[in-house]
Amino acid sequence: MQFKLTDEQKMMQDMARDFAQKEILPTLKEDERDHRFRPELVKKMADLGFFGCAIPEEYGGNGCGFFESVLLAEQLAKVSGSWRVPLNMQNIGPSVTVNRFGTREQKERFIPAWVKADSFGFFAITEPNSGSDVAGMGTTATDRGDHWELNGQKMWISNAHVGDWGLVYAFTDKSKKYKGMTCFIVNLKDNEGIVTAPIETKLGLHCSPTGEIAFTKARIPKDSILGEVGQGFKICMWQLNNTRVSCAAGALGIGGGAIEAAINYANERTQFGKKIGSYQMVQAQIADIVAEHEAAKLLVYQAAWLKDQGMPNQHQTSIAKLFASEAAVHATSETMKIFGSYGFSTEFPAERFLRDAQSLRVVEGTSNIQKTIIAGIALGDVENR
Amino acid sequence: MNILVCIKQVPDMESRFKVDEDGTWFDGADLAWRMNEYDEYAVEQAVQLKEETGGDLTVLCIGPERVKETMKKALAMGCDRGVHVVDNESFKKDPFAIASIIAEFAGPKNFDLIFTGMQSQDRGSAQVGVLVAEMLGLPCATTIVGFSFDNGVISVKRELEGGVKAKVTASVPALVTCQLGLNSPRYLTLPNILKAKKKEMLVIPVADLSKTQALEETTSLYFPEKKGTGLILEGDVADLADQLIKILKEKTAVLA
Ligand SMILES: Cc1cc2nc3c(=O)[nH]c(=O)nc-3n(C[C@H](O)[C@H](O)[C@H](O)COP(=O)(O)OP(=O)(O)OC[C@H]3O[C@@H](n4cnc5c(N)ncnc54)[C@H](O)[C@@H]3O)c2cc1C
Repeated sequence: MQFKLTDEQKMMQDMARDFAQKEILPTLKEDERDHRFRPELVKKMADLGFFGCAIPEEYGGNGCGFFESVLLAEQLAKVSGSWRVPLNMQNIGPSVTVNRFGTREQKERFIPAWVKADSFGFFAITEPNSGSDVAGMGTTATDRGDHWELNGQKMWISNAHVGDWGLVYAFTDKSKKYKGMTCFIVNLKDNEGIVTAPIETKLGLHCSPTGEIAFTKARIPKDSILGEVGQGFKICMWQLNNTRVSCAAGALGIGGGAIEAAINYANERTQFGKKIGSYQMVQAQIADIVAEHEAAKLLVYQAAWLKDQGMPNQHQTSIAKLFASEAAVHATSETMKIFGSYGFSTEFPAERFLRDAQSLRVVEGTSNIQKTIIAGIALGDVENR
Repeated sequence: MNILVCIKQVPDMESRFKVDEDGTWFDGADLAWRMNEYDEYAVEQAVQLKEETGGDLTVLCIGPERVKETMKKALAMGCDRGVHVVDNESFKKDPFAIASIIAEFAGPKNFDLIFTGMQSQDRGSAQVGVLVAEMLGLPCATTIVGFSFDNGVISVKRELEGGVKAKVTASVPALVTCQLGLNSPRYLTLPNILKAKKKEMLVIPVADLSKTQALEETTSLYFPEKKGTGLILEGDVADLADQLIKILKEKTAVLA
């Protein structure tokens, strides 16, 4: 057992912390207020090699794995929950998935562009009437001889209205149920049959664009299929098992950021002539969230490490995602209490941490869905992959 | 160009310092360590020069095993090789002894240019760079905030007291000590961090280079005594302003 980061990993962690402090924090208040996504910041991250994890060098890989990507996600999310999302959009989502299932031509064509952020990535699974029930989706792809025709609507898609190339999941044969689903690599721009629109009514993650995509007789080239026809569900589950760990790392960041703020405040604020941190009840609040945070950290790091070893990890990934998201929600909620009325003020960061943390137990499979996966494997009904 | 940059590992200045058992330095046990801030500017400038002119860039650091971590950062920033002078008691050496070690190493290597920080954040003597230049018989420009190199001549901008700037030129070989404002060190990139792992790290026991004795000794290190509480003024605003102006005039040089 080895619980120590290498010097290189520490340097990456420091660098990401420094980057978040200098590039994200200074304008965060205004960016949050204006729901501003900054494409140039994604570019800067790309230039520093943020998006080349778990990718072979020939396609722009940086020689790092999931573990390092998790370290980055944690540090970015500590400053802003929104700004860890690009790691999934450019790297852990589409890039890693195409690297696993794509043809050589597809890898050469798409992965370096996502890694360099020349192309903004996305993955579109969720629809107005299907979320947790992925196989309940209604989007279809019909073979029209010289092209595929996409019809349907996707919703809650990160990067939808800013995205270029990304992954779209659709049914090629609804009668085969989940074995009739297929994954397509699709360009959202310059297609008459594709319309995107932002969702601007989100509770949090204001700097991370989320939107809808409508496909109306959208013509997609024949060679757009990732993997094989009918392999879509398998690809989707494989992909979610990866993006999940990045989300869990985001939870470490948001929770950790909140805890830091709570501790500073508890050390500064005095009531009844003493620091509020000197009261046992406040200490108990802090002890709980710190203990949960440290446990979550070990779980998330373990899941990422297992991925880099190529070992089965679905069980550990879902446990990490469930535990870290719930811990983050708890930490941000206790932080709000510790901040008192200032917790309720948008002038202080506590409320933003709380709002952003709420997204964590919804995305990449809700907490209930993680429990379904964990129990399924624990009960021996499903194999850990 | 054959370039040397000298760096020091110092405690993170946010740390909680404790005086050590001897009462002559701080206790290093629970501290987080990082590169001396001014040395980061020195490394960045050296790397920029190397990128511009080509050549070879060596980073040197004196200290215990843990300084390797800081050296790796310099390598990730773009230095070509590291020279680790292993010395578990480097903190006991005065600026003269440290400078002697550097000069002993650098003397035979004929570096065209040597970069150091303007001072260290922990000891703050601002002497090491200057002493090295003296020992090697090199021209030296201190506290530089601007740097350019052309055809064997360096042109630097120096920061003097009271915001005055001076422009200085010198032919290489030369030594410069770097000040805040010289540059903004770029972020490390992930690939460069990994590449640093493969760079050469030369290890030299300090005994091989240490030929002099320290000239100074730190006899005691202590926290300054806590001063009494501040002065609290009371009254309405106009009255407060008058009181404040009076104090500033009488007790400080802020108002004449
Ligand atoms: C900010 C944000 C970004 C997103 N980005 C993307 C993206 O990039 N791509 C994408 O495809 N999707 C994205 N989503 C969508 C997200 O993945 C879904 O919202 C999520 O999968 C849940 O689906 P749903 O909202 O339809 O909820 P539902 O599935 O309708 O669930 C509603 C409730 O029922 C519970 N529930 C449902 N089924 C079960 C069950 N079998 N057992 C127990 N409980 C159950 C759930 O846990 C939940 O509490 C994003 C969502 C948000 C908020």
